[in-house]
Amino acid sequence: MPPRRQPQPKSGPEGPRPAVLLLAPLLLFALQGVAAAPAAAGGREDSPGLQDAELPRGLLQQAARAALHFFNFRAGSPSALRVLAAVLEGRATVNPKKECQVDLVFTTDHYNPEDGEEHLGKCSARVFFRNQKPRPAINVTCTRLIEKNKRQQEDYLLYKHMKQLKTPLDVVSIPDSHGHIDPSLRPIWDLAFLGSSYVMWEKTTQFLHYYMAQISSVNQWKTNDDAIDFDYTVLLHEFSTQEIIPCRIHLVWYPGKPLKVKYHCQELPTPEEASGTEEGSAVVPTELNNF
Amino acid sequence: MPSSPGGGVGPGPCPVDRWTLLVFSFILAAALGQMNFTGDQVLRVLAKNEKQLSVLRDLEGLKPQKVDFWRSPARPSLPVDMRVAFSELKDIKAYLESHGLAYSIMIKDIQVLLDEEREAMAKSRRLERSTSSFSYSSYHTLEEIYSWIDNFVTEYSDIVSKIRIGHSFENRSILVLKFSTGGSQRRAIWIDTGIHSREWITHATGIWTAKKIVSEYGKDHTLTNILNAMDIFMEIVTNPDGFAFTHSMNRLWRKNKSSRPGIFCIGVDLNRNWKSGFGGNGSNNNPCSETYRGPSPQSEPEVAAIVDFITTHGNIKALISIHSYSQMLMYPYGHSLEPVPNQKELYRLAKDAVQALSEAHGIEYIYGSISSTLYVASGITVDWAYDSGIKYSFTFELRDTGRYGFLLPASQIVPTAQETWLALRTIMEHTLNHPY
Repeated sequence: MPPRRQPQPKSGPEGPRPAVLLLAPLLLFALQGVAAAPAAAGGREDSPGLQDAELPRGLLQQAARAALHFFNFRAGSPSALRVLAAVLEGRATVNPKKECQVDLVFTTDHYNPEDGEEHLGKCSARVFFRNQKPRPAINVTCTRLIEKNKRQQEDYLLYKHMKQLKTPLDVVSIPDSHGHIDPSLRPIWDLAFLGSSYVMWEKTTQFLHYYMAQISSVNQWKTNDDAIDFDYTVLLHEFSTQEIIPCRIHLVWYPGKPLKVKYHCQELPTPEEASGTEEGSAVVPTELNNF
Repeated sequence: MPSSPGGGVGPGPCPVDRWTLLVFSFILAAALGQMNFTGDQVLRVLAKNEKQLSVLRDLEGLKPQKVDFWRSPARPSLPVDMRVAFSELKDIKAYLESHGLAYSIMIKDIQVLLDEEREAMAKSRRLERSTSSFSYSSYHTLEEIYSWIDNFVTEYSDIVSKIRIGHSFENRSILVLKFSTGGSQRRAIWIDTGIHSREWITHATGIWTAKKIVSEYGKDHTLTNILNAMDIFMEIVTNPDGFAFTHSMNRLWRKNKSSRPGIFCIGVDLNRNWKSGFGGNGSNNNPCSETYRGPSPQSEPEVAAIVDFITTHGNIKALISIHSYSQMLMYPYGHSLEPVPNQKELYRLAKDAVQALSEAHGIEYIYGSISSTLYVASGITVDWAYDSGIKYSFTFELRDTGRYGFLLPASQIVPTAQETWLALRTIMEHTLNHPY
């Protein structure tokens, strides 16, 4: 049974989950790991024969994260960000070049849930990891979590709010050391997360996955013309190595338009000294204009 | 800026890295009222290649000096930190930008930082006199925690005492709270928090738990039975140097602050420095890595202190080492996939503990062995504990699952501590009822 967990704490005890989520079986190549059963399914014993020693632990989770980062980036909507709720089912195959294709189904939650809201979106994805090379190829579709008009409205509200922020922004870290984000700065965090999603998608491999830990500086926040022009440094936390990776990200956003992102990260230290830094830039794949 | 509880500045005869040295000298200078750094900034520059590095080195050679390197240009992969006087900021930033050098502002106004530090130092002399005015739903500095410990031990002296088990690399005291209702060398439970300094929720949970223990004795049936037969040892700030550093300079610092001659990077991952599976794949040999294992098992004073204490005590029956984040409860091994002999029992106990935890606020934890649930990790605390004969060795990864990560909002301290308590109590009760 894939591990099941909530991304954020809810205010009250969980109601029983729909039965279908508990009965998802199909791991041909098993994950190791024991799941705490949310309701009745029971934890999973260390399964003997099911696992393929070649596949990394938690591969389905990796694939789901990569797919979600890509989905969030492509949607380009800071008010409609999603987080992983649970992997329902999946299977993986490895080719002789050690490249790994994962097909999976997973559920999602709002990144910023409203009170009392419990709205599980559902996604299916095909993720192709290129043996530790970055930029996994992703095909992902999700059920509509937020109705399109509502999403556009919320984006536009966010946009107006951001245009009203006093520049230069008098802020260093978001959140501060105590985990606090001033409500007026919340849209900045969401927009930064959107940009970081692009970076985290590109950098996720079968073995590496990232979380956005902190915006360590806002270098530039411009809103002349119409778009938000946002240049910031973010600290990404890579989980398997526990490293903190600073990335300089420059994005341009206008509601409804594809997000443009450029970035430049420090590289992970390797056993031999790492040198150099990684760069990347993109617009949503349909557009090719250089930024 | 780092300062030890004894009020001293500076770590003594041990070699200090240049950054820390410069920071200290600034403090001193400011304290003597000699220099003003208003508007001065510290910039961190990421050089992409040698060419950009040499552009930075050119800055170093300017006369009159326009920047002051706190971390000199060395290799492209390593950050370069420079203090820039306010009057030079515009020019220097333009210079960097014109050469395509990315930078971020590490310290926006040095004088503000110095003023805050001075204020904090003055404040620490006026610290609270009792634990009832201490906020259990906020994060605290090292000084505040050590002061709270003294008050706590005074207020509950019938049950709690303070033991100094050693000192850290930078010479801070390593303190353990002992909860005991009597007896001599009773079977005991060990709990540690804060071995990774950036995991602030763990220290906060430890403090809340300490208060909970003394409050529940005589009220909660289970806890009373536990304390009537067993002792509890709790080390709240297992990595005091790292913790001080997360307040002064780098909120996301994980390791301790040990340094060795000739080695550019500082700090050892204290949870890779134990003598079980030391040196395996689940740790790193590179001193610049976050999972650097150190030169040898127990080389770090913070680890050695615990090893000495537990070994000498000889009657620890459960060890619980608390981390964040991921929402997991796990048992050995971390260094190998091989199951421990009493795996089934630990599995069932973890399951019960996690169930109890979820009853507080519905938070779900996953559970299993470390290597199969989290990742392979070599030289970790609980593997050592288990191999030393402590059958009930567990490690927690507290809230959350990545949304805030290490920067968990203070509003989640109490709910996290409340749910964790239920799991701890389950494990302690099982230990009580299964003597060995």
